[in-house]
Amino acid sequence: MADLKDRVEGLRKAFEAEALKVGDAKSLEELRTAFLGRKKGHVTLLFEDLKTVPAEGKREAGRLINELKESVTVRLDAIEGQLSLAWPSVSGTSAEAKLDLTLPGRKKYVGAAHPLVLFQQEIENVFLGMGFTIEEGPEIETDYYNFEALNFPPHHPARDSWDTLYIKDDLLLRTHTSPVQIRVMEKKKPPIRIIIPGRVFRRETPDPTHLPMFMQIEGLVVDEGATFAHLKGTLEYFIRALFGEKIKVRFRPSFFPFTEPSAEVDIECIVCGGQDKSCRVCSGTGWKEILGSGMVDPQVLKNVNIDPEKYSGWAFGLGIDRTAMFAYGITEMRHFYENDLRFIRQFGAK
Amino acid sequence: MKISLDWIREFVTVDIPRQELLDRLTMIGLVADTVEERDGDAVLDLETYANRPDTLGHLGVAREIGAMLELSLKEKSWPLAELPQATTEIADVQISSENLCPRYCGLVVRDVPVGPSPDWLRRRVEAMGLRPINNVVDVSNYVLFATAQPIHTFDFGKIGGGKIVVRKAKRGETLKDLDGRTLELAADMLVIADESRPVALAGVIGGEASGITDATRDVFIESANFDPVSIRKTAKKLGLSTDASYRFERGADVGFAPQAALMAASLLTQMGGQASRGLIDVYPKPHKPKSVRLRLRRIAELLGVDVPESFVVEVLGRLGFRVEAAHKGSWRVEVPTFRVDVGREADLIEEVARFYGYDRIPSEFSPVRSFDLSVNRKRERLGRIRQTLLGQGFDEVINWSFADPEREAAAGSGLQPVDVQNPISSRASVLRTTLVPGLLENAAWNLNRGLEGVHVFELGNVFYWEGEKHREELRLGLVSTGLLPGAGWTSGPAETDFYVLKGALEALMEALRFEPFAFEERDHAYFEEGRALALLYKGQPVGCLGILRKSLAAAASVDRTVFAAEIDLTGLFEKTPKPFQYAPVPRFPGVSRDLSFLLDRGVAYQEIGKVLAKLNLPLLEGFELRDRFSGPSIPADKVSLTVRFRFRHPQRTLVAEEVDRVEQDIVGHLRSAMNIQLREGKIDNRTRAN
Repeated sequence: MADLKDRVEGLRKAFEAEALKVGDAKSLEELRTAFLGRKKGHVTLLFEDLKTVPAEGKREAGRLINELKESVTVRLDAIEGQLSLAWPSVSGTSAEAKLDLTLPGRKKYVGAAHPLVLFQQEIENVFLGMGFTIEEGPEIETDYYNFEALNFPPHHPARDSWDTLYIKDDLLLRTHTSPVQIRVMEKKKPPIRIIIPGRVFRRETPDPTHLPMFMQIEGLVVDEGATFAHLKGTLEYFIRALFGEKIKVRFRPSFFPFTEPSAEVDIECIVCGGQDKSCRVCSGTGWKEILGSGMVDPQVLKNVNIDPEKYSGWAFGLGIDRTAMFAYGITEMRHFYENDLRFIRQFGAK
Repeated sequence: MKISLDWIREFVTVDIPRQELLDRLTMIGLVADTVEERDGDAVLDLETYANRPDTLGHLGVAREIGAMLELSLKEKSWPLAELPQATTEIADVQISSENLCPRYCGLVVRDVPVGPSPDWLRRRVEAMGLRPINNVVDVSNYVLFATAQPIHTFDFGKIGGGKIVVRKAKRGETLKDLDGRTLELAADMLVIADESRPVALAGVIGGEASGITDATRDVFIESANFDPVSIRKTAKKLGLSTDASYRFERGADVGFAPQAALMAASLLTQMGGQASRGLIDVYPKPHKPKSVRLRLRRIAELLGVDVPESFVVEVLGRLGFRVEAAHKGSWRVEVPTFRVDVGREADLIEEVARFYGYDRIPSEFSPVRSFDLSVNRKRERLGRIRQTLLGQGFDEVINWSFADPEREAAAGSGLQPVDVQNPISSRASVLRTTLVPGLLENAAWNLNRGLEGVHVFELGNVFYWEGEKHREELRLGLVSTGLLPGAGWTSGPAETDFYVLKGALEALMEALRFEPFAFEERDHAYFEEGRALALLYKGQPVGCLGILRKSLAAAASVDRTVFAAEIDLTGLFEKTPKPFQYAPVPRFPGVSRDLSFLLDRGVAYQEIGKVLAKLNLPLLEGFELRDRFSGPSIPADKVSLTVRFRFRHPQRTLVAEEVDRVEQDIVGHLRSAMNIQLREGKIDNRTRAN
């Protein structure tokens, strides 16, 4: 038994020594035959010898031999793999041994994610880091969720800014992601701290910055003591996370039926910095409108049975497409939906 | 809304530099999109909001500027040359639809010399982008743009019986309007009528017959208040939008109607006319001023800043609110009639915030008081899907949710599409019931632009009717056609095939841990006959894949073979995979045996698995297809397969003999069940020593 064990060890060392010398396919095959050849291979012969081992040692001896066989096989396969990479028989600088290391590398092609998805994820990640969770909702909505619960009275001109594609009288394609605010507030109690990404639809005649379908993301916080100061601080942080520490941000009064007070948020024009009077992006004002926001209108809270005396809330929304256009200097919104792979691959893979 | 700074100065003194004025207006919410220079004047194009009809006139904007600059509005007098005759002796006003017309004021100006307006008035009208017509029309435009209160002027001589009746239209009535169109009036539309017929569409547009002409002598001035919803419905139904309807549908100032009439009368008398004495003012239910409680504490609670009491009182006062202290830290605020947008405490707090300055409110981080610890399983799964498919070399696209009904019908999803009532175009008039045609179009677009292969996926909803209910279903669609990406100098270009797509789906199901899953041959309308599989999980179909029908590809001008798949993720995600549990990494070596055999062409590869599953083979760890070929060396009705079988014992190293036994067992069963024929000399056990 001890004798066999020694022989196994001896063979292992001998194999290792020989393996180091293998330089080409021929010497590899010779080594394989020497150790694993069906008739005279060293390892094969060991199996022959196993028959003579007394019964009590047979099991252990079998294990040792099998292990040796396995490690030899694995090593031989590995060497074969290396040889197929044209491992040079000798290292060196002779003309024959010269390897052109400047040839291009071999890349696995990895697909490119859609730029709007990437940008949406960037935005989501900022808010996920601030303890927000993601909610979603249906794209076909009722008038109640899309308008009425959000404090748009029927037949109010405020609806004109949310031009709607209708399915039936009471059924429409949501014009914003805000109906999800209502759906979430109906089933969850404050504190609520969510963001809502999704496709939205408007009856817009297509032009470079308007399309009948686009992506929006909005956020909602409802809690005791939520203030306009929180809205400002959080959105400023978000904008800096997206556009850099130094970007200037301003909040100015605006109107949305579902917030009161309402604020439009502008950021400094990163294209011209307000220096170009004919700037396509900011028309020379130096500011670019980036998102709408405000304190949740008390009527909206009442509509979902949240007491506006006890709780307050703030919300915001932005167009992912337009923000991405601004961030990347894209002038045509429709590029996002043409799905030209030469466009898409610039953002993810090449 | 066009705002002339010159005109603003009629109401308030503005003597700060223009840029400063514009900047400060922006910061109270009045943004000028453009500034037009007009001989010494500057006309701003001011963005206005649907809830602020008071800013649709110069007076309202002047009031905002006054509050901003802490200035009072100028007093202006409107002198009137009056006749001895009372208006009521000349004209009669009756409102028969009080709900739709809360107030109606009017008076007559006699002997108006209709003619060109004086220069100052022409300038005002022109600043608004309008062409001066005559002094009467120009005066009504002046009052509208000065005060946001629309007024209308009638040729009083054409008002039958001198009677003004505010009523709903009668069935079949029509009105030829000032622009010469004949309007078909519906019974819910409010009209101004004389004793016999409509003379104007209330709050929207006047009638041609009673319009001002050079022959007009006596003018009836109407200054009324109409129900916003009624005006909006009427204007929408007739496809009309006028300066008047625009203001009425947002809400005109019910308190200002008499003053606007008097302003117009004053101007017309200054031009030579003489006004009837006293105004007719039909106001059956006078407006009760809204009173709102405002608490100092609440301002701080909502804004996050302490605004001084004195500031609150001062600014609201300048905006026209009457502020009365109620209790300590609490006021009763009476809302002026021109502020139709204000009715709650939050509305007042917005006014305070606007003038206090959003920039003076501090920026604070929103505190997190509790975390939502629920796991968003759907997002997590979508993330895995995306990661897997990108890794498989598929690019991601996003297509329109709209579809061409013809294309949709041709694709053959078999689902009832959802129509859009008012689509942008007839070619986008339904919602898609499948993602495949969109992906096919992506393939066409990119192939046409020189790409040699397109391998794309999309995650998005499809929509359809199921009886009376609409369904929205999240799908994954894939299309693969042409050369695969990643060819390089070491490996040439390779064409995609059915198995590339199938492999992607297998990888996907594995990444989602929806295992075991299965495929079954099943025809589908998208695919060529006999070239489609259904993907099954827990025995239920969750998707399909196959070779796209040639006619579909041809219709999209794609002449390459297209492989496509569509998975119903809503359906799949409703199922629960077995919870994941790790298996210990094997401690003992396994053994592999490659078996080469001939198989009848008619027998499916997956039969091997089915046969083996019925056997009790604890040592068989798994098996993979290593090679498959057919050719001259092989009978035509056969294919040659090489399958690698992996064996392992969990507690010990295997001995060659026991592997041999299992191998014989496998061969035996495959032979009897599937008629396989081992290829001579092709048993290969990785020693390669045959």
